[in-house]
Amino acid sequence: MEILYKVFIDPFVQMGAAPDLLVQTLWEGLVAGVLYSLIALGFVLIFKASGVFNFAQGIMVVFAALALVTLYEKGVPAFIALGLAVLVMFVLAYATERIVLRPLVNQPDIILFMATFGLTYFLIGFGELIFGGNPKVMIADQLYLPKGPIDFKVFGGLVSIQKIDIAAAVVASLMVASLAFFFSKTRIGRALRAVADSHKAALSVGISLNQIWVIVWFAAGLVALATGIMWGARSEVSFALQVVALRALPVLILGGFTSIPGAIVGGLIIGVGEKLGEFYWGPLLGRGIETWLAYMIALVFLLFRPQGLFGEKIIERI
Amino acid sequence: MAQNANDKGVDTFPKFLLVNAKVRGDRPAIREKDLGIWQAWTWAQVKEEVKAFALGLKELGVERGDKVAIVGANKPRLYWAMAATQSIGGIPVPVYQDAVADEMSFVLQHAGAKIAVVENQEQVDKVLSISDQLPSITHVVYDDPRGLRDYDHTRLKGINEVQELGRKAMESKYSGDAWEKMIDEGKGSDIAVILYTSGTTGKPKGVMLTYDAVVVSSQNANAFDNLTEKEEVIAYLPMAWVGDHIFSYAQSYVAGYTVNCPESPETIIEDRREIGTSYAFAPPRVYENLLTLTMVRMEDAGPLKRRMFHYFLKHARKWGEKILNKEPVPFGARLIYGLGEILVYGPMKNRYGFTNVRVAYTAGEAIGPEIFRYYRSLGVNLKQLYGQTEAAVYITAQPDGEIYADTVGRPSPNVEIKIEPNGEVLFRSPGVFVGYYKDPEKTAEAKTADGWVKSGDAGFFDPKTGHLKIIDRAKDVGKLNDGTLFAPKYIENKLKFYPNIKEAVAFGDGRDYVTVMLNIDLVSVGSWAERNNVIYGSYQELAAHPRVYQMLGEHVAEVNKSLSEEGPMAGAQIKRFLILHKELDADDGELTRTLKVRRGFIAERYEPLAEGLYNGAKEVEITTELTFEDGRKGAITARVKIEDMKTFPPAAAPMDKAA
Amino acid sequence: MRAPDENKIKAGDTLLSVENVSLSFGGVKAIRGVSFDIKKGEIRAIIGPNGAGKTSMLNVINGFYHPQEGQITFKGVKRRKMRPHDAATGGIARTFQNVALFKSMNTLDNIMAGRSLKMHQSFFWQLFRYGPAEREEIAHRRVVEEIIDFLEIQHIRRVPVGKLPYGLQKRVELGRALAMEPELLLLDEPMAGMNLEEKEDMCRYIIDVNNHYGTTIALIEHDMGVVMDLANRVVVLDYGQKIADGTPDEVKANQAVIDAYLGVAH
Repeated sequence: MEILYKVFIDPFVQMGAAPDLLVQTLWEGLVAGVLYSLIALGFVLIFKASGVFNFAQGIMVVFAALALVTLYEKGVPAFIALGLAVLVMFVLAYATERIVLRPLVNQPDIILFMATFGLTYFLIGFGELIFGGNPKVMIADQLYLPKGPIDFKVFGGLVSIQKIDIAAAVVASLMVASLAFFFSKTRIGRALRAVADSHKAALSVGISLNQIWVIVWFAAGLVALATGIMWGARSEVSFALQVVALRALPVLILGGFTSIPGAIVGGLIIGVGEKLGEFYWGPLLGRGIETWLAYMIALVFLLFRPQGLFGEKIIERI
Repeated sequence: MAQNANDKGVDTFPKFLLVNAKVRGDRPAIREKDLGIWQAWTWAQVKEEVKAFALGLKELGVERGDKVAIVGANKPRLYWAMAATQSIGGIPVPVYQDAVADEMSFVLQHAGAKIAVVENQEQVDKVLSISDQLPSITHVVYDDPRGLRDYDHTRLKGINEVQELGRKAMESKYSGDAWEKMIDEGKGSDIAVILYTSGTTGKPKGVMLTYDAVVVSSQNANAFDNLTEKEEVIAYLPMAWVGDHIFSYAQSYVAGYTVNCPESPETIIEDRREIGTSYAFAPPRVYENLLTLTMVRMEDAGPLKRRMFHYFLKHARKWGEKILNKEPVPFGARLIYGLGEILVYGPMKNRYGFTNVRVAYTAGEAIGPEIFRYYRSLGVNLKQLYGQTEAAVYITAQPDGEIYADTVGRPSPNVEIKIEPNGEVLFRSPGVFVGYYKDPEKTAEAKTADGWVKSGDAGFFDPKTGHLKIIDRAKDVGKLNDGTLFAPKYIENKLKFYPNIKEAVAFGDGRDYVTVMLNIDLVSVGSWAERNNVIYGSYQELAAHPRVYQMLGEHVAEVNKSLSEEGPMAGAQIKRFLILHKELDADDGELTRTLKVRRGFIAERYEPLAEGLYNGAKEVEITTELTFEDGRKGAITARVKIEDMKTFPPAAAPMDKAA
Repeated sequence: MRAPDENKIKAGDTLLSVENVSLSFGGVKAIRGVSFDIKKGEIRAIIGPNGAGKTSMLNVINGFYHPQEGQITFKGVKRRKMRPHDAATGGIARTFQNVALFKSMNTLDNIMAGRSLKMHQSFFWQLFRYGPAEREEIAHRRVVEEIIDFLEIQHIRRVPVGKLPYGLQKRVELGRALAMEPELLLLDEPMAGMNLEEKEDMCRYIIDVNNHYGTTIALIEHDMGVVMDLANRVVVLDYGQKIADGTPDEVKANQAVIDAYLGVAH
């Protein structure tokens, strides 16, 4: 009985007793969720357009952030460095399409997936070679990113919110909004959706798959750069950061590999769920809860909605 | 008879057009959705278009008194053809666009049309295919040129070309206000239009209506519901039907309101939503279809959505009509209704395009009380009216605040009504018709010397509400062999209230008991089949499925139960029924053009089945010939099961439950 | 609407010719030394029993397959290898036997996608759908609306095509191909899986496209009756070889054709 009480009653009593703490936890969950969403978004973009699960998305985050910081360290002004980092991501996208994807066209998906493994390790090695292996500090100030906390009085308590987190949320929303607009309203956006639906049909109307792949990899690169800046600003930029890619997996399971809204909402659910779990149930279950909790949340969701959050209902006729 | 409230001698529609062009020249008169965009013409623009068209027709030889046939879907140019014809003294004769060549041939010949203004290639082909039977036709004028490029154009002209002719004539022959003078020559007592009724039996009859009749009817109707130039209506019912003629043409010209023409017959619901019509008119079938679609969609919706829908619907059933009728309602109920408005009713009405509707009418046939109450409970001011072509529509209508599901309302302004001993309804008003064109015999049958018109419907005044109730066609009300009153339509309508039943045909006159043939509703039953894993390969197979029989049998039993509670109707319970293997279709002559069942024809066509219903057979084999749309013929054979039903003893029913 | 062409091909001239084309997959010979031509403005049918190599032929013409032997001349330009993108750029549009649409997109977007090659505004303007890109979008929308009107599919403009019944999907696919304003339209069994009424509608659209836009059409069809009504000339394939070529009447009277359809042993 004791354990049941601790699992099903006690955490909620705590939440009710200190609502300000609850709000603080929720906020932190949302912030983590926004970053998960961004990473998942990178995966989804590439998966939608080419059916490739891009294992290298994590290292792309690191690579983009390191390129930015290194350029600045070499004396390039911050915003020009940012522009150059964008260029780097474009070159990376272009090269990937030319060197990795094009020769492998029409190969089974698993081959392409393995190729992205190769890409990952190449980028780690190549990155360490040119950027050095040491962690670096994100040039948050130079990019005029805000810092320091803002305090709110909530339910008689104090909730402290980092300004950088607000900025991250704003940047992420803008990014998602512009991607959504681009996808739904422009010719290239339409072509992207077309390629995602049917390669054969897209080819027949003269859409160039190569061009589309460059564009999606570039878009994923931009998302990686944004993720890298925001994540880096909260801690530091190092190759260890690439494991955040694994954090996005439960988000993809939850949101579906092809749904952009799924990536966003899924990211937020996982972020909030993780923080709540860690804070309220963590002590009970001991350390290490964060390594598997996200997967638990995703699996529980799938029990009720096997088609994922935004997937079409699948009715198999037998 | 022509003593009416015309303002300053404005007694014809062309005259109203001139007034509208002057008074509200910048307001939209008509819109059409084309290439995905709503295009509008103001009254001033319409006047110019009609003028060019009219003078063009004049150049083609249309003289005062000549008939111009108009065939097609609701398009601005076809409405202009009507006004253009009237403005030069011609008489427009709108024809049902889905009429097959034979039917069309009869009308065009009978009317002696000089020119046919048609919508498109399909109609041009139809007219050309019968042109040897139509010596009176000199020209065929079309709206949509698609596919007509290679046709012989000696007697074929585009509306644009005709208008061009007119514009040229404006510069020479008919310069200045020549056209306006022609309009001035028109009088209220002239024939405004000839509308051919698609009678349930026999050849169509050409109902002649004067301007005075149509104008006074329109003015009364506009006044009755306070219609202004701000109304928006959507024109989608056949132009040859008196309802559309009055709602989308006459009342619009009189009140100056805007008529909207949909993009295609399939887009009406969406188009109506985009426009947000404020005044709506539809036969019950349209309301039924909308409701069936909603119910089907709800069955497929998620559980939360479905539960929410049903919860608020239940609440609306309880309180919605009271709120609409401005009766006192507890605050809590009002609050939940308000929440429902946001979550369910509002979105529903938006989906139907009824968000802005002030008044919506249903007419033409009895509407199911459930369907009627559904819309009213959502807050749509749906009302019933009773009308006929011979009356320029209005005979009775329900005033605001006096709405009942089973009445058709009080006599409209200036209309007198009396009931014959055999139950037939007679009416007299300034709106009644002059006579049937070239048919004094039929005219004399329908209209007495002192102006009373026989409606052909049986009905009575409900002493409690003072409203008229229609039970059936007078000639269709028959008797069973034991003398029990048999009103087939009454029974059919009860059956059709079930969404699974699309059509019902009841037999019993001169027989020992009542039987029915049913048509399943493919949308509704098909969706049920999908949900219940009932496998079927064709309509025929689904209709004959034992579980479908079982389900419809339950509906029939419920109808029997309710009949048993209705005193005189208790003896007319359904003893046997069958489900037809094919959908009843206007193209096969089984339904009229307004989609009413033709009972006699069906009994003949399915004679073995009709016999089987009364000789105790359990199953009957039948072969039916059918005509495809292109005129080719085929046949289908089926074995149709006949089911016996239990009847209920007459119950002392709470008589006035329905009111 | 079409850009003026320097060496314009007149009606009746050869638009495309296939010379001695052979195609094999591994050891399987799908097409063996087939030659025929398609003249500008005609409706050309390719027929034959199942497995005759009809769809492979279409895939060769449109660049999906590259023949091992032989060559194809399109608008006077010879080539052996061509990518689908080049075929599309050159003015060849096609539909597929089992319908290849962008299923999650609506009808409007599917047909707009057919305009991809006609839209030229740079990626930069596209990014913001601003200025020239906006104007371009509107101009092309008009063309697409005319096609929608032509095919009478206004009511499904906003419906995701994956939810449409098969017959309508085929119509949308035709619309998408038309949006490319092709010089040569390849239709792979346009009437497959349709009921009688839908077949007749489709026939009417094909004839209208040919009449109205003067588009050259090459179609594969199973239904002999339909082909005989529609086509000006028919080429018959059997086991990857051409066995007859001529007007519908000639082909109908050809003994080899009759044998092939009756399944006489080779």
